[in-house]
Amino acid sequence: MFDSLKKKLQSIKTKFASNIEEAAGAEPALPAAEQPTEPEPTPLTPAPTSQEPEAPEMVRDKPTFFNKVKVLVRDREVLLKEKDIEEPLFELEMVLLESDVALPVTDEIIARMQRDLVGRHKKIGSSIDDLVTSTLRSALCGVLGEGLDLLEYVRESERPVKILFTGVNGTGKTTTVAKVGHYLQENGFSVVIGAGDTFRAGAIEQLRTHADRLGIKVIQHQAGADPSAVLFDAVQYAKAHDIDVVLADTAGRFHNRANLMNQLEKIRRVMKPDLVVYVDEAVAGNDAVIRADEFNRAVGTDAVVLTKADMDRKGGAAISIAHTIGKPILFLGTGQGYEDILPFEPRIVVDELLGDEI
Amino acid sequence: MLDTLGTSLKDAVKKLAGKTVIDRAAVDELVRDLQRALLSADVNVKLVMQLSKAIKERALDEEPPKGMGAREHVLRIVYQELVNLMGMPGTVALGPQTILLAGLQGSGKTTTAAKLARSFQRKGLRVGVICADTFRPGAYDQLKTLCDRIGVPCFGDPDEPDALVIVREGLPQFRKAYEVIIIDTQGRHALEEHLIEEIININEISHADHRWLVIDAALGQQASEQARRFHEAIGIDGVLVTKMDGTAKGGGALSAVAETGSGIVFIGSGETIDDLERFDPDGFISRLLGMGDLKALVERAEEAVSAEDIDVNAMLKGKFTLRDMYKQLEALNKMGPLKQIMSMLPLGGMQIPDDAYDITSTKMQRYKVIMDSMTPGELDDPAIIGGSRIQRIARGAGVPPEDVRDLIKYYKIMQRALKGMRGMGGGRFNMQRMMKKFGRTQ
Repeated sequence: MFDSLKKKLQSIKTKFASNIEEAAGAEPALPAAEQPTEPEPTPLTPAPTSQEPEAPEMVRDKPTFFNKVKVLVRDREVLLKEKDIEEPLFELEMVLLESDVALPVTDEIIARMQRDLVGRHKKIGSSIDDLVTSTLRSALCGVLGEGLDLLEYVRESERPVKILFTGVNGTGKTTTVAKVGHYLQENGFSVVIGAGDTFRAGAIEQLRTHADRLGIKVIQHQAGADPSAVLFDAVQYAKAHDIDVVLADTAGRFHNRANLMNQLEKIRRVMKPDLVVYVDEAVAGNDAVIRADEFNRAVGTDAVVLTKADMDRKGGAAISIAHTIGKPILFLGTGQGYEDILPFEPRIVVDELLGDEI
Repeated sequence: MLDTLGTSLKDAVKKLAGKTVIDRAAVDELVRDLQRALLSADVNVKLVMQLSKAIKERALDEEPPKGMGAREHVLRIVYQELVNLMGMPGTVALGPQTILLAGLQGSGKTTTAAKLARSFQRKGLRVGVICADTFRPGAYDQLKTLCDRIGVPCFGDPDEPDALVIVREGLPQFRKAYEVIIIDTQGRHALEEHLIEEIININEISHADHRWLVIDAALGQQASEQARRFHEAIGIDGVLVTKMDGTAKGGGALSAVAETGSGIVFIGSGETIDDLERFDPDGFISRLLGMGDLKALVERAEEAVSAEDIDVNAMLKGKFTLRDMYKQLEALNKMGPLKQIMSMLPLGGMQIPDDAYDITSTKMQRYKVIMDSMTPGELDDPAIIGGSRIQRIARGAGVPPEDVRDLIKYYKIMQRALKGMRGMGGGRFNMQRMMKKFGRTQ
C-alpha cells in the first residue's frame, strides 16, 4: 500500500522544486549582486525606494513585483507566485484523485499547499526540496492526524473494554473482528466476541468458524435475533468471566437506511461501547467520505480500520476518511490471514511517502 | 441511487441551458463541471480526461445539424459521449447457460448469485447454484440459506478445501437437471496470484458461457486495474454493479466496463433477493441528465403488478387519494421501495422530501389495516376525517388514534410531494420533447 502514491509524490516534489527553482533562477545572480539593480529581465519601472522600517516577522507578502524585488534585493530571497506552482499543483491534484483521495479532500490539500507556498519567502541558498517537503508533510500530517495504539488503550482502560465494529456491507467487519481478536490474544489479552450480525445469512457461522480456529469464545443467538441483546449478553459474559476485551460484530448497513441506523444507535445505547470502530475498505472511492461522515454522525466513531489495503497500493481512502471525520486510523487489513493486520502510524506513513527515492 | 451524480450533472447542463450562444467559455465551464461530477462519482481519472477532451473538441468543431440549436447540439454531444463511456448493455440470454461470478472480497458475489438465480427463476428457467467459495467460513451456509428461501438447489461442501473439485463434481450433475447454472466463487483481488490461477482453472473446467465481474458501486480508481487483471485472466464479458442502493455512484463500474470492453448486465440495489435490475445505458444517461428512466420502470411494473394496481398518470395529475396510497402500499412490496420507483420517473430536478420515503414495512402494514377500517367516502376524500372519525377508525383497526393521525400526516406529505410534481408539468413536456429529439438525431 502507498507505494505508487509515494512514487508519484516523489516526482511531483521534484517538479515543485524545479518550478520554484525556475522562479528563483530568473536571476541566477549568486555572486555579489549587492546593489539595487533591476534583477528581473523584464523590469516594469522598478521602484526600489521607500524602505519602511521592515516588519521582518511578516513572512507573507503579496507577491507583487515590487515586493519581489524588495525581498530579493534586501533578503536575497525569492517570493513564490501562484503561477510558479500552478502546474505542479495541478499534477498533484491529479495524483491525489487517481489515488482515490476524494474530491473535497483533494481540494483542501491543494488549497493548503497553495496557501502555504504562495507568498512564501525562500532564501536563495536554502534547499527548495526542504521547503516543498515540509509543506507537503504538514499538509498530509494535518490530514492524517494522530494514530491510536490499541494495546495501550486497552491497558489503560477499565475492563472489560467494549469495542463495537460498524460499517457498510462487505467491507470486512467480521474478518476484522477475528483479526483484532487474534491480535489482542497474541498480546496477552483475553477476548470474547459478540455475534451481532444476525441478519446476513451465514454470518454467525462465519464468525463461529473464525473464533473456533482462534480459540475465542463467541456469544451468539439465532439468526434474526435482536443484535442489542446478543451484544449485551456478550458484555455480561465478559464481566462474569473477567475477560479483557469484548469485540462486537454488527451487520453491514447502509448509512441511508434510517431504521438500520436506528438499530445501531440502540446497540450503542445498550452495550455502551468504549470504542466505536468504523470499518471501511481502502479501495472505496469518493463514497468513503460520505458514508464515514454519516456513520460518524449517527453513532459516532472513535477510530477507523481500513481493510483490503493489500488490493490497493495507493491508500487514498485512508487520507479521505481520516480527514473527513478527523479520527485516528487504528489498523490496516492487509490480507486474508489472521496476522494480516497492521497498526497504523501516520507519521511513519507520511515519512515513508515523502522519504527519499525508492 | 445515482441521484447525487445526477444532480451535479444536471446543474452543469442547466448552466449551459442558460446560455444563448455556445462560446468557448460556456463549453469550458460545462466540461469542468462534468469533470468534477464524474470524478466525484469515481470514474477513472483518465477516462474523464478523455471524455472531456472529446466533448470539448466536438462541441467547438462540429457544425450543429440544421434545425438544431447550438445548445441542443452540445447537450447531444454530451449525451452521446456519455453513452459511449457506458458501453453497450451486456447481453443476457434467456436460455441454458453457465455463469461464473468473479470479484473482489466483499463485493457481494454470494448475494448476487442468489439474486441472479431468483431473476432467472422468475423468467421461468430452472436454475442451480454452485458454491465454489471454499475459503470464507460460512460462505456455503450463506448461499444455501438464500437459495433455500427461493427454492433453488445449491451445490457445495463446506468441508472440501478445493474449489475445483466442487465444480468438477457439481457441474455435470446440475447440467443434467438445470438450464442456468451460476457458480459463486471466493473473493480475490488481482495481486493474489494463486487465487487468480484458481479462477483461471475454474473457468477452464467449467466452460462457463459467461464470466461476470461483480463490482461494488463504491469501488474507486482501483476498478480499472482490478478489472484489467480479471479480464486478462478469464476474459470478463459482463459487469454487475452491486450496492447501488447506498450513496455510491458506481463510477468504478464504468472504468471496469471500459477496461474489459464489456457492458453492465445487472444492478444490485437492495438487500432483499428481488433487488436486481437490468441495466440500460440509455436510461441510465437519461436519468443522469434529468430525464426519467421510464423503460426500467415499465419493465419492472409489468413483471410485478397489473396496470390498475398503480396509476402513475393519475398520481402525476395530482389526483391522489388514500385509495391510491393503499394501492401504492400494496404494490410497494412487489415493486420495491417508492424511492426507487420515483427515481425512475421523469421528474427532472425535483426533490422529494426524504421523510416521504421514511416508512418501514411494519408501519406500512399497520397503515393498510387502518385504511381497511375507513369508509369509501373517507378513502376518496380524506379531508372529511375529523376527530370523531379518527376515534372510530382507531377503534375499528385496533390501534391508538395517534397512528391514524400519523397515517394522515404521511398521506399529506405524499400529496404535497406529488403536487410539487404536478407543478413541473411544463418541465415534463420539455423533457419529452428533448427525448424525442435525442431519438430522432441519433
